Amino acid sequence: MSINRKQLGALLCVVVVGIAVASTAGAARQGTPGVADHSITIGGTFPFSGPASLYATIAYAEQAYYGYINKTQGGVHGRKIIDITMDDGYNPSTTVTDVKKLVEKDNVFAIVGSLGTAPGLATWGYLNKHQVPQALLATGDAYWGTCIYQAKIPQCNGAKPWTIGWQPDYPAEARQYAKYILSHQSKPKIGVLYQSDDYGKNYLAGLMAGLGSHKKDVIAEQKYTSGSDPAGIQAHILKLKQAGVNTVVIFATPAYAIAALATEGGLHWSPLTMLNNVSANRLFMLAAESKGAMPAGVVSSTYIESQTTQPNLPGMQLAKAIIDSTHNNDLITDFNNGDNNIVYGFASAATAVDALKRAGANPTRASFMHALRSLNETGSNSNPFVYPGMTVKTSATHGFPMQQLKLEKWNGNTHDWKSFGSVINSGH
Amino acid sequence: MERLKAADLGQIVTGAFLLAGAIFLLVGCLESSNFATYTVQGVGVGMTYGSLALALVLIYQATHVINFAQGELAMLTTFIAYQFTKWGLSYWEAFSVTLAIAFVLGTVLQVTVIRPVQHRSVIATVIVTVGLFLVIDGVVNWIWGGQFQTLPLAFGFSSWDVGGVFIEKYYVGMVVVVLVSLTAVWALFRFTKLGLAMRAAALRPAAASLAGVRVDVMLAIGWGLAAVLGAVAGLMTQASPLSSLDPAFMQPVLVYAFAAAALGGLESPAGAVVGGVAIGTFLTLLVGYVPQISSDLQLPLAFAVILVVLLIKPSGLLGRRQVERV
Amino acid sequence: MRGRLPALGSLAVVAVVLAVLPFVLSDYNTYLAAEVGIFFVAVLGLNILTGYTGQISIGHGAFMAIGGYTTAVMSRDHHTNLIVTMLLAFAFCFVVGLLFGLPALRLSGAYLALATFALAISVPLLTDQWSTYLGGTSGVQSSETKSNLWIYGAAWTASAVLFLLAWLILRGRVGRAFRAVRDSEIAATASGVEIGIYKTLAFGISAAFCGVAGALYVMASNGFAQPDEFSVLLSLQLLIGAAVAGLGSLWGVLAGAAFVGLLPNISTSVPVVGNDHGRDVVYGLLVILVMLVLPGGFAGLLARVRSLVRT
Repeated sequence: MSINRKQLGALLCVVVVGIAVASTAGAARQGTPGVADHSITIGGTFPFSGPASLYATIAYAEQAYYGYINKTQGGVHGRKIIDITMDDGYNPSTTVTDVKKLVEKDNVFAIVGSLGTAPGLATWGYLNKHQVPQALLATGDAYWGTCIYQAKIPQCNGAKPWTIGWQPDYPAEARQYAKYILSHQSKPKIGVLYQSDDYGKNYLAGLMAGLGSHKKDVIAEQKYTSGSDPAGIQAHILKLKQAGVNTVVIFATPAYAIAALATEGGLHWSPLTMLNNVSANRLFMLAAESKGAMPAGVVSSTYIESQTTQPNLPGMQLAKAIIDSTHNNDLITDFNNGDNNIVYGFASAATAVDALKRAGANPTRASFMHALRSLNETGSNSNPFVYPGMTVKTSATHGFPMQQLKLEKWNGNTHDWKSFGSVINSGH
Repeated sequence: MERLKAADLGQIVTGAFLLAGAIFLLVGCLESSNFATYTVQGVGVGMTYGSLALALVLIYQATHVINFAQGELAMLTTFIAYQFTKWGLSYWEAFSVTLAIAFVLGTVLQVTVIRPVQHRSVIATVIVTVGLFLVIDGVVNWIWGGQFQTLPLAFGFSSWDVGGVFIEKYYVGMVVVVLVSLTAVWALFRFTKLGLAMRAAALRPAAASLAGVRVDVMLAIGWGLAAVLGAVAGLMTQASPLSSLDPAFMQPVLVYAFAAAALGGLESPAGAVVGGVAIGTFLTLLVGYVPQISSDLQLPLAFAVILVVLLIKPSGLLGRRQVERV
Repeated sequence: MRGRLPALGSLAVVAVVLAVLPFVLSDYNTYLAAEVGIFFVAVLGLNILTGYTGQISIGHGAFMAIGGYTTAVMSRDHHTNLIVTMLLAFAFCFVVGLLFGLPALRLSGAYLALATFALAISVPLLTDQWSTYLGGTSGVQSSETKSNLWIYGAAWTASAVLFLLAWLILRGRVGRAFRAVRDSEIAATASGVEIGIYKTLAFGISAAFCGVAGALYVMASNGFAQPDEFSVLLSLQLLIGAAVAGLGSLWGVLAGAAFVGLLPNISTSVPVVGNDHGRDVVYGLLVILVMLVLPGGFAGLLARVRSLVRT
């Protein structure tokens, strides 16, 4: 008996339909997405691979914190927190497909703690359109605070009420560096190295705003593309040196910042160097030193506690306990060596849990966003991991949770940061 | 006498051009300290490109296949070296062990994955190497991804101050190590029976087989050697303190190696190495001296080079034109 | 598609399945099915070049990029109707393909592969050069986004239209010329076939198809065009799809499109390797396996099955 083509086709048809039906099993859910009787599912995208993979420990830390809450408090309102993380490799186009999957297939309650300015910008339109919270983004882009209530600037592309950041924003940080340069460098000749996308441009705009009439003191600018070979930074720094600058401002992600510092060391050149705080992790500085950097005197800023210089603070002891309980040796070693991104992850996750609690026993996406826009982690309700005295606060008129900084300088003898001065309000 | 006229004229012109280029570099180094710094850097990274390019050419000469996984294989062996240093071996101990492992890895891959498809379809073989690319990339990311890691520096990070010119020790080290490995491979091909057998197997497989050469074994050994050259390229790329030990680090190098191989001709080993150095110095000098060109443009420039060279001389600078007799 | 339209029965079956699918699938799975449709168009195009004229290209992702950016920029700046942008992408990429095909005539085999590889890497980098207009790494956002269902419809309608177009092209004189070029350039020239014209034409046609696929690809990514969407990996995916498809069969192209469109997304649920990297490993291993077992692609398998079934 021979099978003719029609029958073959029909057979294939049945098979395909069968697969399709099977794959739709469990697709539709009732009620608020991600909220089940005993669990609440959130999701986030992180650079576990790619040019920004040095930030991966933030994701591990956030997951560790949620695990700690699940274990010691049974989760939030009796629901264990399930955190689905996806690797977008710091590649905005991958973030788009990852977020689509998290929202449409995994039905997450909210996107929490995702890392990356460009990834965030690639997905904020979609998330706001579908009214999914894009909460506590792990980037300091100013748009996350500016665009919440209304489309204040054209880059907002419409109001983004479902998006909120967490850390002190980049332009505010850059303004502080401008202030520092003007008060510490008599005849400043500034060279800036920055990433060519919105991340870097955000910083640069803040620096220029902070310099005001001294804008012309920036005599050289070098931009690099994220994803390019870090060894190419050598050429950029050489060009800054050749331009005759006496101050270098670095607005880069870690791999490139490390290369920049290593190049300065290799050239035996020590201009006043300002470094953006997301690349100022002690681990990165140690790596830079191992590659020939001589970063004594480099100035940066911080807003979280340091496990190496402030180990006795209750927050740092809690952090150590949480990290040790993960039994992940690589993570524990990183923590002990001063990987501050772990503390960052804990701090941000603590705010997420705080907001989830205040979203009520039957949380909705709207109640979660409301809680995020009325944060009040002050006084006795302080976030245990942020710098002593700093607050995490938002209100109906103020969309930036953290607005305080402390400047710090790298000490070549202790191989660690030393903060100085008082807590600065970098606010808007 | 006839043969000397046509094809070799092209070779002579190219040779003269290269000689002129070398003289230009030398004079430039003596004139300007910046030029010298750039040249040293260019030759250093150029040698690593040349090493990988040679690996590509070795495989292409033997099997007419472009191995897309060559860069990832080099990257894998570099991570293996990193793992050995974590387990307590010194850098050079890890280096040696890794070269041995690379050889084995190369031969095993040829035997298990390439040999079955080699004769059936060119496109299938190419796709297999692409599949290998994906597998190796995934495996490395799985085992070592997301962690912060650095390979101990082979030559440290300091530089010599030669009359105001900074000559980084690691660039010199790269050149030396690559030269040594290239010389070893050349000597193998030129002076040993094994080398002779391998050359025969690549150029005239039918005749070689009649003469008693195990052609398939020779091909496997060829892949092993190519993997060793790739490992050298990977390890030397990491000898620069500015490189980060990230699973994607060999991808741009593969691109430059392709450019070098295209420039020098896919059938010419010497061409591959010379092509690598040429591309390395050309790009470094260009980025250094032309302000509009940032180092991010290096990749597309390398491509522009490939395209232009292939348009003018479709078989590469030192390659011979394929003439088909009907 | 050896110039012979598959039996009307098979076509009808495919049409019915496609029409019914969105009602049975979840919204997310409809999106995945749309991705398969997008790859169907692209693989169809690449097959014309690689399968029918024997020119290997590892660079057709570049044409997808050009098509995709055409859509995004036209939508952003002129609010052009998205369907119209697909037509624009087709036309524009056809011309660019022809322009690339001309110099490519001088190259063969591995050198052509290298040149197309160069194209694949360079084109996305161009967006950084003209970043004010093309957005650089920040990308370009279209002015409108469409639902998964809409994209599914657009993708499969385009697939049907372009499939018909491909059939019309391949059954005629052009198709015969293509096959003559593939089988023996020497014999073709001797028979009076102007190889240059046909090889260039193949480039143009395949580029145009990939341009449409690129336009749809951007629409499926929330209307967001970004250089990393069109990395070398995409070009490699297309080539894998064409190889898995094999030559001469509608089902083959479907299989190839499903392979590259679905597999990377599905293997996350494979229990042993539940993470992203495991997924890449599994995908790579499958690619190798398929090539080892079926060097002639799915079409080759079908041909063998058919000959077995007939006896």
